[in-house]
Amino acid sequence: MSEPLSRREFVKAGSSTAALLASTPLVYAGGQEATIKIGLVGCGGRGTGAAENCLNSAPNVQIVALGDMFADRIKGSQRTLSKLPGYKVTDENVFTGWNAYQQVINSSADLVLFATPPGFRPMHFAAAVAAGKHVFLEKPIAVDPVGVRKVIETGKQAAAKKLAVVAGTQYRHQTSFMETVKRIHDGQIGEITGGRAYYNAGTLWKRDRKPEMSEMEYQLRMWIYYDWLSGDQPVEQHIHTVDVTDWVMGGPPVKCVATGGRQVRVEPEFGNVYDHFTMDYEYAGGKHVMSMCRQMANVDNHVGAYFIGTKGEADVYKAEIKGEKPWKFEGEVSIAKAYVQEHADLIASIRNGKPLNETEHVAHSTLTAILGREAAYTGKSLKYDEMMKSDLDLSPPALAFGPNPVRPVPMPGNERG
Amino acid sequence: MNARQIPMVYAGGQEQTLKVGLVGCGGRGTGAADNVLDSSENVQVIALADMFPDKIEKTRKVLKGKEHPGVKIQDDFCYSGFDAYKKILEAPIDYVILAQPPGFRPPHFAAAVEAGKHIFFEKPVAVDPVGVRKVIEFGEKAKEKKLGIIPGTQTRHTPRAKETVQRIHDGQIGEIVSGRIMFNTGYLWEYPRRDGMSDMEWQIRNWYYFDWLSGDFIVEQHVHQHDCTDWVMKSNPVSATAVGGRQMRTEELYGNIFDHFCVDYTYPNDVHVQSMCRQWKGTPGEICAIYRGTKGTAYVMGPRAGTITGDTPWEFKPQAKDIDPGTGKEINGTILEHRDLIASIRAGKPLNEARRIAMTSLTSILGREAAYTGKAIRYADLMKSDLDLSPKKYEFGPNEVRPVRRPGV
Repeated sequence: MSEPLSRREFVKAGSSTAALLASTPLVYAGGQEATIKIGLVGCGGRGTGAAENCLNSAPNVQIVALGDMFADRIKGSQRTLSKLPGYKVTDENVFTGWNAYQQVINSSADLVLFATPPGFRPMHFAAAVAAGKHVFLEKPIAVDPVGVRKVIETGKQAAAKKLAVVAGTQYRHQTSFMETVKRIHDGQIGEITGGRAYYNAGTLWKRDRKPEMSEMEYQLRMWIYYDWLSGDQPVEQHIHTVDVTDWVMGGPPVKCVATGGRQVRVEPEFGNVYDHFTMDYEYAGGKHVMSMCRQMANVDNHVGAYFIGTKGEADVYKAEIKGEKPWKFEGEVSIAKAYVQEHADLIASIRNGKPLNETEHVAHSTLTAILGREAAYTGKSLKYDEMMKSDLDLSPPALAFGPNPVRPVPMPGNERG
Repeated sequence: MNARQIPMVYAGGQEQTLKVGLVGCGGRGTGAADNVLDSSENVQVIALADMFPDKIEKTRKVLKGKEHPGVKIQDDFCYSGFDAYKKILEAPIDYVILAQPPGFRPPHFAAAVEAGKHIFFEKPVAVDPVGVRKVIEFGEKAKEKKLGIIPGTQTRHTPRAKETVQRIHDGQIGEIVSGRIMFNTGYLWEYPRRDGMSDMEWQIRNWYYFDWLSGDFIVEQHVHQHDCTDWVMKSNPVSATAVGGRQMRTEELYGNIFDHFCVDYTYPNDVHVQSMCRQWKGTPGEICAIYRGTKGTAYVMGPRAGTITGDTPWEFKPQAKDIDPGTGKEINGTILEHRDLIASIRAGKPLNEARRIAMTSLTSILGREAAYTGKAIRYADLMKSDLDLSPKKYEFGPNEVRPVRRPGV
């Protein structure tokens, strides 16, 4: 097991100019014919899916390295990925433990996919860019404002190094969404007056705590239920609809008032997150978007985003406009294709020497989601600009197996004064 | 048919004294008795009823302190206990104020209609669909008897709101595309259980926190904005989806209600109104009802009430008749509502808003049930529902309540 390293210490080391200058690696910028080698950090369901999507997105893509905290997770991932022709991972390029991410970055991979719990994203992203690797970042890209700022800073370094950065907010790469949002921006529903967004979903997986598991291991295995790892539902899952909202509204909100709580998943095994939220986001010009999410079983589910204008209404997920100029997207509305398309766009941008860099938009929509979460946790009306400056840092004192007490389930009104 | 079934209904003019009885001597009931005296000439409050004698004494003291000639409360006309509301209806009153916890409203209302009294009843008027239907049924009977009936949704009576809504209906903000209503407040009150107190007594004293008594705070409090919305939209909602829970007030002291809700109401033509309410100690409050149209935005309730922005901006300017010479401020809706009702009775054209407020109470109940169950619920389906929160027996003793709701469980 490697030495524990706190995130703050790491960030300090990773961002120093000396460290940047010392590492001037060769950035992959080959053409269509050259092979792009990828590495995957975080071999859970989404990570494995992302690697598969990436391998299927363009010719001459190979996966050469895998990293995860746990060996069993890697084995699961290998069962899927080893069936693909691009699978070229040798045993010596399989890494586990706290330093696995760095070892994948240090491998021959040109592009590294990060799909570990979001709390790790800022640190991993910084390390990848320091090493001159192209990056795919699963959403969200942070769980607190300190992490968001770190990601924005790293994104600028990536731009300076001509590194590609694509985020897993795949709707931005889905034709039906792109067409619908373009029409909204072109005025097809008139002036936008507001909207509503939903991620009312069912419950997710859980894992049993085994006697030999330390607190830290249990938290990592049950990561969606811990604020410092997942960021809670608005950040981890609802981020998709939050990102679509920021995209349509032309940027992040001005402020937010919210409610939320933990009504069904109340047992301690479910960490310290809520199970429902509703945010009232106010965007520039006093435009409000109601944003609702929950994770409960046996209730009515609904995922979607709707925007109302002076001349019509847009259903972005269904790619449909009603009103004075009705329209419906003719093609296939396919999330599966979008999952592949985001990688195709990423790889094309690397190959044609015009690397995409989506850091800014995903950093801002992540902070929009964090703003909503914190507005619910505190009961306060919170401003985006102030949240961007906040010192809120959810990272644990030490990244090591062992005890790791987390903050109690947030109590509005009392939480952080 | 005996004489008791054909009571005399007050139909006097300005010169004839209107005698008032109050059922429910809490803060709002006492306030309503105060308001009715200020509202019109020749009004007397002569009778009081409450579950508990101590509440009656408190109200008598407060009203005595008002030093108003209309305060004529007689010992003979003060009643306590579960039957107090029946007894007061036998006193020589013309007009009854019903202000006990809302769970009692449907039976009290029915009895008052049977007794041929004009009725001012506090909002909400029911806590479940069975109660809502009862109020509608007896509201129709009240029409036959020419009884005046209005609920305590005072915003409907203020010139500021009336003119704003009239302008919305006249098209000043174009076609309505969305609405946003809020009732975010802080700490309320609570009544800790005392030694030896029965379940029933404690629940009634601490009524706010029990679903069968208050209907939960979304029904008890946020009904004001739901009423405003139903008024603006000229309709009840079609359906609702909601989330809610109990995050701060988790102790037994707080009964079985939630402390926050957010409801997405769908009105006809797929117009959505977002409704947020919470009672969270130590958090900032916000109360508003704002409607957005294709040509502007109208503020009906809240700090900007009486404002329209957009293509045709407008701001409400009170006239001399709208101002209370005593305070120099606009006359409060809680006074105007009695003034309007009494004027309608004296003019022989009694207002009857029973159906309207019953249907709006169901709007609030719809939001609550959508949050309690996690289901998207249709208004029309809920109207037919058998949900009945009333206790098995109205007597002091044990009274088990529903557990706090966990959606989907």
